Amino acid sequence: MGENIVIVGGGQAGAYAINSIRKINTDCYITLISEETELPYERPPLSKECIKGEKKYQDCIIFDKSYYEKNNINLNLNTIVEDVDVKSSKIKIFQNTDVSFDKLLICTGSNNKKIKIDGLMENDIFQLRNIDECKKIMNKSQAVENILIIGGGFIGLEIASSLSKFKKNISVIEIGKQLMGRVIPKEIADIMLVKHKKNNVNIFVDTQILKILKSGNNYEVRLTNGKIIKSEMIIAGIGVEPQVSLLKETTIRLDNGILTNHFCNTSIENIYAAGDVCNFFHPSYNKYIRLESWQHAQKHGSVAGKNIIGKNISYDEVPWMWSNQYDYNLQLTGITNDYDSIVKRGSNIDEGIIYFYLKNNKIRGACGIGKFGKIGKEIKLAGILSKAKKEINENKLSDVNQKLQKI
Amino acid sequence: MTEDNWVYVCNTNEIDLEDLKRFDYENKSVCIYKLEDGFFATDGLCTHEQVHLENGLVMDGEIECPMHQGIFDIKTGEAKSPPACEDLKTYSVKIEKDKIFIKL
Repeated sequence: MGENIVIVGGGQAGAYAINSIRKINTDCYITLISEETELPYERPPLSKECIKGEKKYQDCIIFDKSYYEKNNINLNLNTIVEDVDVKSSKIKIFQNTDVSFDKLLICTGSNNKKIKIDGLMENDIFQLRNIDECKKIMNKSQAVENILIIGGGFIGLEIASSLSKFKKNISVIEIGKQLMGRVIPKEIADIMLVKHKKNNVNIFVDTQILKILKSGNNYEVRLTNGKIIKSEMIIAGIGVEPQVSLLKETTIRLDNGILTNHFCNTSIENIYAAGDVCNFFHPSYNKYIRLESWQHAQKHGSVAGKNIIGKNISYDEVPWMWSNQYDYNLQLTGITNDYDSIVKRGSNIDEGIIYFYLKNNKIRGACGIGKFGKIGKEIKLAGILSKAKKEINENKLSDVNQKLQKI
Repeated sequence: MTEDNWVYVCNTNEIDLEDLKRFDYENKSVCIYKLEDGFFATDGLCTHEQVHLENGLVMDGEIECPMHQGIFDIKTGEAKSPPACEDLKTYSVKIEKDKIFIKL
């Protein structure tokens, strides 16, 4: 008899956990429980190709239906978990059905933070997290001319970039002093700011909304900089929070997500967690971090899957994320907020510009921007060098004629 | 310049060790790699989202896509790491008088 493994959350982490388990173990029972009505799919295309109508849900599914059938996965889609009983190793799904587990993996990801604006209802504000919301934004945006986006982070800017293709009048309001300020260094964010302006997207940084007046289907948006914007559609992308509501009554330790060690264990022995929902201990940085990225969800899910079936793999991936806006590709690796020196490599956007963040002559992180694909290799090498904690000659690093691979 | 379906790409000294060169021919795009034990060739576009592998990292006999970090074995084309799951097509390579030819 194989073990009974239950996975809650049908996103990138859950799908790749299944994949890594089945590569090693075909005996265990695997049940996937997901709130969504669809099979697990990749979310990055939602704000890029899907919102423009260039890709559909079918193009984004991670594994098709036959994969789950062939691998004997018990799929429970469109299913909400109501309770987790840690002591008796059971979860309760709707209609009070109990599902027992030997091992539980929680990959519930994150939810969009909601914004409350006086005079507006929840359905006045569009948000993007899943394929349904993507379709709603796509349909509505086609029918309007003026679109307001609240939040100049990855999601807001990718949506602005995508919808600008349809010659909409788009305004982005960002409360911070720069775009993408939570993770992207100002040097790179400012290059992207210029790109948005060149594409006729109005960007207001260091700006807040004072008031929004609704009249019929129109909004009059008053900003702290004195400007008034007319809009027929409001989209918000103001960040996410880990989806842990299910666990608040349990003894699983939470702190900015589910606390896990570097083996994906939670504070309860037979319960694991992976992906956005985790605040996990990262051995290379010697601290807990929570990441909201596609690559992390995938790799963390894979490692969690292996550890559930008895492997003992320490998760110490170098963080990496990317964003595509217009024909620019932005990538970030490692950590870019703990440095004593910045080295710039490249000055031509067509070939790519990378900023390296060093401490004690060792690369801690790097962030680059360039035409599609141009910076990928060097960002990856920066990640490898940061993990190796190798001392670097700054002059060589800044010289584009010196191959990074040979430094 | 062809000889049967062997196509001349470049001279052997035009590709560094652990590196690659992009080669476009008719409607195909191919990558030619130089590894410790010889030259190899694969399709130039990642099977995940058709991004060109030209700017990818060659390391330990593998090529990594510069956009989403899918990894392929250069010699066999095998998809080694997600999001790549479909193998990359490979091509035969021969060297004659320091000239690299691939069979297309």
